[in-house]
Amino acid sequence: MAKRNSKKLALAFFLAPALALIIFFFIIPTLLTIWISFTNLYNWKIDRVKEFVGLQNYKDLIYFIQHDPDVEKVVKTTLVFTSLTLLVNVLGGLALAIFAYLIDERVSLSFRLLWILPRMTPIAVFGLLWYYFFYGSELGTLNSVLLRLGVIDQPISWGSDPSVQPWASWLIIIFVNGLVGVSFGMVVFYSAFKSVPRELIVAAKVDGATTWQIIRHILVPMARWHLVFVTVWQLLSLLTTYPHLFVLVEWGVVDKNYGTTWSLYVFLTAFSKAVNYQALAAAAAVILVIIGAILGLIVLRVMKFEEMIQPPRGDV
Amino acid sequence: MTLLRLLRRSRRARSEWEEPLVKGRKAGILILALLLASTPIILSYTFLVVTSFANTIVFTPFINFKITWTTENYKMFFQGKLSPAAGQVYSTKDILTFIANTFIVAAGVTAVVLASSIPAAYAISRINFRGRANLMRLLMLLHAFPGVALIIAVYFIYIYARSPLYNALRDLAETGLVSKSFLASFDLAYSFFFVIVARASLEIPMSIWLMKGFFDRIPWELEWAAIVDGASRFTAFRKVVLPLVKPGIAALAIFAFLAGWEDLIYVYVFLPEMTLATFIHNQLSGGSLETTYLPVVAAAATIYLVPTLLFFVVTQRLLLEAVWGGLKG
Amino acid sequence: MVEVRLSRVTKRFGDVYAVREVDLVFPDKGFTALLGPSGSGKTTLLYLIAGIYRPTSGRIYFDERDVTNLHPNERNVSIVFQNYALYPHMKVFDNIAFPLKLRKESKQVIERKVMEIAEMLGISQLLDRYPSQLSGGQQQRVALARALVKEPSVLLLDEPLSNLDALLRIKIRSELKRLQKDLGITAIYVTHDQSEAMAMADKIVVIHKGVVQQVADPDTIYNKPRNVFVASFIGNPPANLLRVRVSHGNVPCLRLPGDLEYCVKDPIISAKLSALSTEEVILAFRPEHALISENPVPEYVSMEAEVYTVEPLGRENIVTLIAGADTVKVIVPPVVKPKPGSKVYISVEWEKVLLFDPATEVNIEYLEVPSVEVAREANPQWLGADEREVDEVGEA
Repeated sequence: MAKRNSKKLALAFFLAPALALIIFFFIIPTLLTIWISFTNLYNWKIDRVKEFVGLQNYKDLIYFIQHDPDVEKVVKTTLVFTSLTLLVNVLGGLALAIFAYLIDERVSLSFRLLWILPRMTPIAVFGLLWYYFFYGSELGTLNSVLLRLGVIDQPISWGSDPSVQPWASWLIIIFVNGLVGVSFGMVVFYSAFKSVPRELIVAAKVDGATTWQIIRHILVPMARWHLVFVTVWQLLSLLTTYPHLFVLVEWGVVDKNYGTTWSLYVFLTAFSKAVNYQALAAAAAVILVIIGAILGLIVLRVMKFEEMIQPPRGDV
Repeated sequence: MTLLRLLRRSRRARSEWEEPLVKGRKAGILILALLLASTPIILSYTFLVVTSFANTIVFTPFINFKITWTTENYKMFFQGKLSPAAGQVYSTKDILTFIANTFIVAAGVTAVVLASSIPAAYAISRINFRGRANLMRLLMLLHAFPGVALIIAVYFIYIYARSPLYNALRDLAETGLVSKSFLASFDLAYSFFFVIVARASLEIPMSIWLMKGFFDRIPWELEWAAIVDGASRFTAFRKVVLPLVKPGIAALAIFAFLAGWEDLIYVYVFLPEMTLATFIHNQLSGGSLETTYLPVVAAAATIYLVPTLLFFVVTQRLLLEAVWGGLKG
Repeated sequence: MVEVRLSRVTKRFGDVYAVREVDLVFPDKGFTALLGPSGSGKTTLLYLIAGIYRPTSGRIYFDERDVTNLHPNERNVSIVFQNYALYPHMKVFDNIAFPLKLRKESKQVIERKVMEIAEMLGISQLLDRYPSQLSGGQQQRVALARALVKEPSVLLLDEPLSNLDALLRIKIRSELKRLQKDLGITAIYVTHDQSEAMAMADKIVVIHKGVVQQVADPDTIYNKPRNVFVASFIGNPPANLLRVRVSHGNVPCLRLPGDLEYCVKDPIISAKLSALSTEEVILAFRPEHALISENPVPEYVSMEAEVYTVEPLGRENIVTLIAGADTVKVIVPPVVKPKPGSKVYISVEWEKVLLFDPATEVNIEYLEVPSVEVAREANPQWLGADEREVDEVGEA
């Protein structure tokens, strides 16, 4: 009996802080967001959280998607951004991992580090890098290089010139987020390749396989599960990420609507002084939560998760 | 220094030299291709740092004008001058406060993440309890939770709880339990508290997974030995297990610190005072290259980047592992 | 210092039985070896005594004290793990001092005791080093020092020599036994290496699939194995096993390969065989107890066999033969080199022959004559014990 209690005590001691934070900053906020989505909360007038409007916010949202050209652009941007960036991140990550695997470990280490630098860089700094890389006058790096090479003869305002929209904005957000996201696939695939038994590769070489055949028939098939995992996981993070996009939109690097995905739309609807409509934002967020939960459950299914949650063997 | 040694030791232990698959001229071509693909990254970071030391913005490899190298931009930044022509917008003290604020958020996030996820990871790695599997599934789901869905509600709580909390503290101040001076700075403390704890919470699911991986690698025999030697579970944790996961704690601390350090959204939403992130944001939102003097912003950004680069050089492999470390089976 | 007694101890991991209904006594001041193949449950048994695992059912006593539910630190036991489990972040001195520090002993006492034990084990010059700077043998001594410094009532050793090279193993083997006798500690030693168990233990417990097979001194284990498993596990090469038919006339006779017959004259065995009245019996003998000759040897248990291979080992030759349907190994002097393919006779003195009941696989000598049926029921060890390696259970 005493033993039972001491174990409970230990558990409470070890788990309490993390559980408290999870309850206060994940569980309760999620429930609250769902609640807010059925109310008429705007301008942070918190008393309005008691004003129930039923499904009105969701109806509005559907109406906006159908009839508000700005929201329509947001939906389009979300689809294009998510699918293309996903492609870039998965295939780019795979390519980088293969390249890094093929060359000398010490050389590849510096490349792998270089490519995770964007992920670690403060968002404001990373935004700044591309702010003037894509700047609309000849002071922007891209414009100046293209002018110099004679590809264009007038600097182009990538973010605002209507003749290059929506693709200029889309390509910029895909490029910037791709640089941040591609390293995830690279790291996962690289470690998957590293765990392929060396003997397999040596044996293939002895059998006369070319490097390409080794990649095609050994490395990639062995990383099949990782490919699925990275794809679903990246899809999830691309749907939910918004800080980099926020910076690009707010600083005018890209068009306001063609640079805004659903996540950023939620954020701006809730927090920008011009809209300040929290209830609508909450409804939009709930849709995101539902999609997120479905994809998350898929990840749980796909991952060899049950292996990882096996009970510890030596619990006294 | 011990931290560095520990990190280095763990790195050396994992490195095993292997013959590369491609050698010679082919390898050269591969490396060249990688280098080419990396040019945007290399160039953009280089331009930023170069600009911070120049009298003009340096934005292209084809320079056809004269650049004067100078540390003037850093001086101006610390004097609170945003361009050579403008006067002082901020005082030096303001600027130092911005840096300090960034640091407080990062350090706070680190403290909260370490204090909550290390014990939780230990429990999940070592103790068999009912609900353990479900807790792990939940953590995995939360790991990828749409953060934007949380921030609305968290901000709501932030507004909602502020005045009742203030009133409660004021009543306590009457009795003398809380100092009056703390009450005066309540608003700021309250904002910092929310930024730190809310931002840290986002990191917790992944941090627990990461730390669990480190605990899993400690042989059970060591813990058993301690217990048979006469230690209680807590003593074994403190004296034997914890010292052995020092590299993991270091990795987690660095990760948490960088997460707090790089943040823009939470400090933008919750913190009335500026940090380096919101400072840069304020210079650029609504501005343009013609009106914003970019070399000073570049100097601020370079300073902002220094801790990131520093940790980068120090940790290297540990960092690569940690990107998805927690998810390894 | 104490006698350790297990009473009907069972440990289950999920639905796998690691240890099943074990009754055992480890005598005070005795050196007992737990011997079994990997996955037999011997380490689980050791951890149960240490208190690292709790039994699913059954009780554990130290003398009269019931320790079943006591925490390891309340049992005054020490354990030396296979991988030594030295704390890598502590110097040798702190490793040895750790149990004393946990007991809040004074600095002087700790210093004195650590020095004493270090002196005894010849590791005084290593106290300032970290475990990673030591050789395997040195680490082993440090682990032993840490285990002994707290003057435990029971010393538990989990394959402590298996990570050492062969020569060092033999050297430490005798040292360890000497040390145990000098200190008068109750020692329990887990090993899969029969020569280690034979050399060191006063008493050997053979365990397989979580069930105790035999408890006896090394001689008895070797010469009178209680069942087929013990006979085939002990010895190198192990005992030869053949299924032979039995004809029940006036006296039971064994029908051996090559149309040979041996009629059992020993009245007790004869009576037991008759009582058992099976058509077959498992006959076993040790490779070193057989002769090879061109003709059957009278009064011996002889059988015809065909030579398969001869392996010369210098000091002796090992001859592999086919007798009936079974393969048999015989150790012969180096001069004996039968030609492969030739027909020869294998002969064993009756006293060296072991007979097992094919149903229970129990040595017929151990069966009570009037109660063969009862004996069968009392030995259920072969009734579907789990095949899985229980030592690996639950590893993440």
